[in-house]
Amino acid sequence: MKTFITTTLFVLVLTVAGCFEPKHDSRIKLREEVGSSSLGDNIVTRTVGGAFSWLIGEGIDVKQAVTRRNEAGLMELHVNGYNRSYDTKRFKYRVEWLDADGMLIQSKTSVWLPMSAMGKSPFGIKAVAPTPEAVNFRMDTKKWE
Amino acid sequence: MKTKAMKILLFISILVTVSACEEATVNVDTINDDAKPLMSLDYRDFDRAASEMIQSMLGSGAMQKSGGGRYVVSTGRIINDTMQRIDTDQLMAKIEEELLNSGQVVMTSVVGDSSKAGAVDETVLKARQEIRDSGVSDEFEQDTLENVAGKGQLIAPELSISGKIFQRNLKYDKKRQQVEYYFQLKVTDIKTGLRFWQKETLIAKRGSNKSVAW
Repeated sequence: MKTFITTTLFVLVLTVAGCFEPKHDSRIKLREEVGSSSLGDNIVTRTVGGAFSWLIGEGIDVKQAVTRRNEAGLMELHVNGYNRSYDTKRFKYRVEWLDADGMLIQSKTSVWLPMSAMGKSPFGIKAVAPTPEAVNFRMDTKKWE
Repeated sequence: MKTKAMKILLFISILVTVSACEEATVNVDTINDDAKPLMSLDYRDFDRAASEMIQSMLGSGAMQKSGGGRYVVSTGRIINDTMQRIDTDQLMAKIEEELLNSGQVVMTSVVGDSSKAGAVDETVLKARQEIRDSGVSDEFEQDTLENVAGKGQLIAPELSISGKIFQRNLKYDKKRQQVEYYFQLKVTDIKTGLRFWQKETLIAKRGSNKSVAW
């Protein structure tokens, strides 16, 4: 019974801590040992959260992929993502451009490029099509060895 | 007889063992190359630098001519200030190709870094000197002389691309070194001398002191 109460209490504390919002501007990230510890972000929640995150294999989420034409008529791709993991995620990405017929446009820009996203942080990728013929894209990712 | 057969068998087995130790030559998968990075610059580094440069250049709008039309661009001097023997065309050929494919610019083969075969095609001026301006022009079919640049026919460049690749070697700790390669490019308006665009791409490598970065 005692164990059950302790576990419930622990889970409750974590849940409440997870809902806790920082008091400062949310656009500014104050990392471990930079900002003050709080109910939602302290040595206990970070350790437990980090272990849990690793256990369930949290990684990169792509929130949005926006395309637009720039003034030169070239398609631009903006990918907004979030690294759910507590660890920095390093990966490589490659953007390939497709013409109106869905054919691949050969380009020297379509190579594997490195990207690094810090833990629990948003990140952005920008790519520019090499010709105005590009109307669509496809993007691939792989682990940074 | 038996000894001779034994000797032959031994010789064959040594031959097989030695040949098995030899590393086979393989073609590199340059599209998905997962091989370990090298301390010196390899084609993957040039691919990355070129890709980042091209995307920045095209995305900036600097190569878009106001009022329409295309800029005439020359390739100026790209200085190799690294410890490696680099042909800077490894970088510039990719950039020139993509700029041409973008439809925003045309490259000139007449004006540029004359020390680089990739920037200047001597045939254009040589054809003029050796055919039109020499005494042998009568030997050619006269209609074809129109193919050779005459007065007022060459187009002067409007923009120039120049830059530098340099290297810094740093001691990281007792066992490791850090090598930083800086790729710097700039686009300058030849008429006004104003700089329209510039970018630096840094490729840094950290590895054993035993690795040689040249």
